[in-house]
Amino acid sequence: MNRRPRKLSLTLLAVCGMLALTSAVVLAQAKSPSSVLLYTSVPQQLATQFADAFMKKRPDIKVEIYRAGSTEVGAKIAAEREVGGIRADLLWLADAPIYYDLRKRGELLGYISPEAKAIPADLKDPKGFFTGGRLINMIIAVNTEVTPLKDAPKSWKDFPDHGKKAVMGNPLYSGSNFVTVAAFVQKDGWGWFERARARGVAIVRGNSEAATALAGKEFGIAMTLDYIVAGLIKKGAPLAIVWPSEGAISVPSPIAIIKGTKNPDGSKAFVDYVLSKEGQEFLVKQEVIPVRDDVKPPPGQPSAKKIKFLPIPYEWAADNAPAIREKFEKLMLQ
Amino acid sequence: MAGAGVFVLLVVVYPLWQVLFRSFLDAGVLSLKSYQKVFSYPSYYRALLNSVWISCATAALCMVLGTLLAFLVVRTDLPGKTSLRTLLVLPYALPSFFAAIAWIQLLGPQGYLARLLLQVFGSAAVPWNLYSAGGIVFVLTVHYFILVFITVAGALERMDASLEEAARASGAGTYRIMREITLPLVLPAIVAGGLLAFIGALANFGIPALLGMRARFFVLTTSVYYALAIPDFGLATALSSMLVLVALISMALQFGIQKGESRYTVISGKAVHPAELKLGASRYPLFLFTVALVVCISIIPVLSMVLTALMKYWGAPLTAANLTLQNFTYVLKLETAQRAVTNSLFLGAVAATAAMFVGTLISYLHVKAKLKGSRVLDFLATIPYAVPHTVIAIAMILAWAKPPVSLYGTLWIILVAYLAVYLPFAVRTTNSTLQQVHDSLEEAARASGAKIFPRLRDIVLPLARPGMIAGWILVFMPALRELTVSILLYAHHTETIGVVVYNLQDAGYREIAAALAALVMALLIAGNMVIRKLTGGVAGF
Repeated sequence: MNRRPRKLSLTLLAVCGMLALTSAVVLAQAKSPSSVLLYTSVPQQLATQFADAFMKKRPDIKVEIYRAGSTEVGAKIAAEREVGGIRADLLWLADAPIYYDLRKRGELLGYISPEAKAIPADLKDPKGFFTGGRLINMIIAVNTEVTPLKDAPKSWKDFPDHGKKAVMGNPLYSGSNFVTVAAFVQKDGWGWFERARARGVAIVRGNSEAATALAGKEFGIAMTLDYIVAGLIKKGAPLAIVWPSEGAISVPSPIAIIKGTKNPDGSKAFVDYVLSKEGQEFLVKQEVIPVRDDVKPPPGQPSAKKIKFLPIPYEWAADNAPAIREKFEKLMLQ
Repeated sequence: MAGAGVFVLLVVVYPLWQVLFRSFLDAGVLSLKSYQKVFSYPSYYRALLNSVWISCATAALCMVLGTLLAFLVVRTDLPGKTSLRTLLVLPYALPSFFAAIAWIQLLGPQGYLARLLLQVFGSAAVPWNLYSAGGIVFVLTVHYFILVFITVAGALERMDASLEEAARASGAGTYRIMREITLPLVLPAIVAGGLLAFIGALANFGIPALLGMRARFFVLTTSVYYALAIPDFGLATALSSMLVLVALISMALQFGIQKGESRYTVISGKAVHPAELKLGASRYPLFLFTVALVVCISIIPVLSMVLTALMKYWGAPLTAANLTLQNFTYVLKLETAQRAVTNSLFLGAVAATAAMFVGTLISYLHVKAKLKGSRVLDFLATIPYAVPHTVIAIAMILAWAKPPVSLYGTLWIILVAYLAVYLPFAVRTTNSTLQQVHDSLEEAARASGAKIFPRLRDIVLPLARPGMIAGWILVFMPALRELTVSILLYAHHTETIGVVVYNLQDAGYREIAAALAALVMALLIAGNMVIRKLTGGVAGF
């Protein structure tokens, strides 16, 4: 009985020690004026390595990264708006509609980067509020051990025919799925989805879950993003990419500067680097298709020019977002 | 009392109020539009009903399973019961979405078992469907029964043996003693644990999100997430208020059940441990049953996670060529992972210690001192348990991100959020512990002139210590892997383990995420062994 209180006080002492140590660490990290804070949904490794490469070139600027899924970043921004404004300097998400919302609210800084000249007009905002930073494409992925390549659908039109063997992500969770739904609906109405529902196409949370479930042979085909599939193929998964005949849905994953930034010069320098030849060549090494015409795509992947795009009605999608989500929910999820 | 009041006010009431009043706003004007939405859209009120029945079923199963196992492990001469106990608690350290993934790997349509069936019977169709309401209840039960197990095991250990002995001396049989003496005595603990499991299942997001989507089965927490994705703040908070309401009703029911509290108090503090029950002929069958359970709910999910961590990619055929250690070396070299482990250890230890301290204080005021207003405090401190973690994180930003007190971007805001999230655990577990310490002990001390502090130090705390240590672990383990709160609140350099695992997983690096989770698990096992060694087996599992 007598020994235990001593143990307890020892533990308390240890806790206090840790407390002091960590508070020292926290104090030492007060944000310096030369740093920029980036909110992103770009995969962690990619974002970190990219920022490291940038900081090697510009040692005077420190890039701090907050990485989470698009929904979390959106919720964080919405909460921050309520208490004194968005804290980030830079935003780099896959979720394009949010940029239209931010632009409408006047929360973005217009900046036409000198590097943006090499980027096709349909991948950037004319006033420079945001510019495509990497090209990610919604494609059809096939697990060739479940569905032989010759039986795989060649077009989006045939995708629902695979019924329970087919899977797609939920647009209520994922931004790139949302613009895909918007593009389909604006082109042909809801018929595609009615067919998908009737045949039993599965809905999972997002693109990486669709891709991993496909690699795990739970499905034969998936609507998902090309770079995730390319990464799995590189690791040895028996997957293949089919570029649908109607065109892929290309999400330009825009980069934008928040108007309230305390470090506009540092932020602009980062945007320039993302759009630069060097920055895009770095992304290519990570299986990402470049936005510039003068950078070669990853081996086995087509260049931006060669890809057939299905046009995405961004403005329309942003204006009708609640209605599209509601209709999708009623049709596919109930 | 005042101190505890201020603590609850700052950590719970003020932040949650920041969210609640926004649920009554529509574009800045007072309105009930969000609530109208909840009750006019079938998908939302159906989600509410789904949440309620899923949680009821989970709580009932948890109570049966948790009580049974606690009894076997604490009160009987089951062989190897100490190791079995450690193994049972283990999977609680798995993030719930990992638990769900582990079960998908095992029981899913393309899981290991389905592949086995294919080889044996030539048919890959498994007779069950994990992607269903039943599957969700199953995984939730496996995940939360531990809450009942730990509270009941604590109660059984502190139980006064004399009552049982008296009954035995009067010729009552074992079965009758258990039914008429032991069970009623530990009932508060069973109900308290059941309530924790109920609300835990109610507020869980990871498991229904992974298993419910394909079955088109939605619960309140997944609907809250949708509302945030839209983003419709008002709707998200209105849905969250529904969750809190359901939790409050269930808590009120528990208060009702335990009206006659003194019935359950047991004079403890004597060094008499309850007699070990001889299982006799059923010893080995019961041993096999427990081992089978442990294998199913602890070893297999953990093993499946370790296996994933050893794979080149998830879903790779199980051959030697596809096994690798590179995921582990990658994690060990990852700077963010190292930082996250330090951060999470710090947050977990401080949150658990502070929450247990305040929780014990509140419990004491309510259960023992019976001060006016302490019931309200107890009630308020329990609310955050039912609030989805995402909403708590948003509440913390709204409350603590604006000057003059801006904690945003530091570890402290995560700590405050953890305190809010885990205070209910502390209050509920110490409540049931303190209920068992009979008032007469303290009254005797008071009559002999002992002041409140010596009374606490010499009587209440020593008696409540095993329960408190169990409570500490109940907070520390989930805090170590917490995700939903941390993901919204973390900043550069304040990553937590959950955040890193999630970000790896989300980018498709499922095997690297599994490697990190496995390392954390190993850390916990080692820590547990150190605690046991230091305390001579008194604490730890």
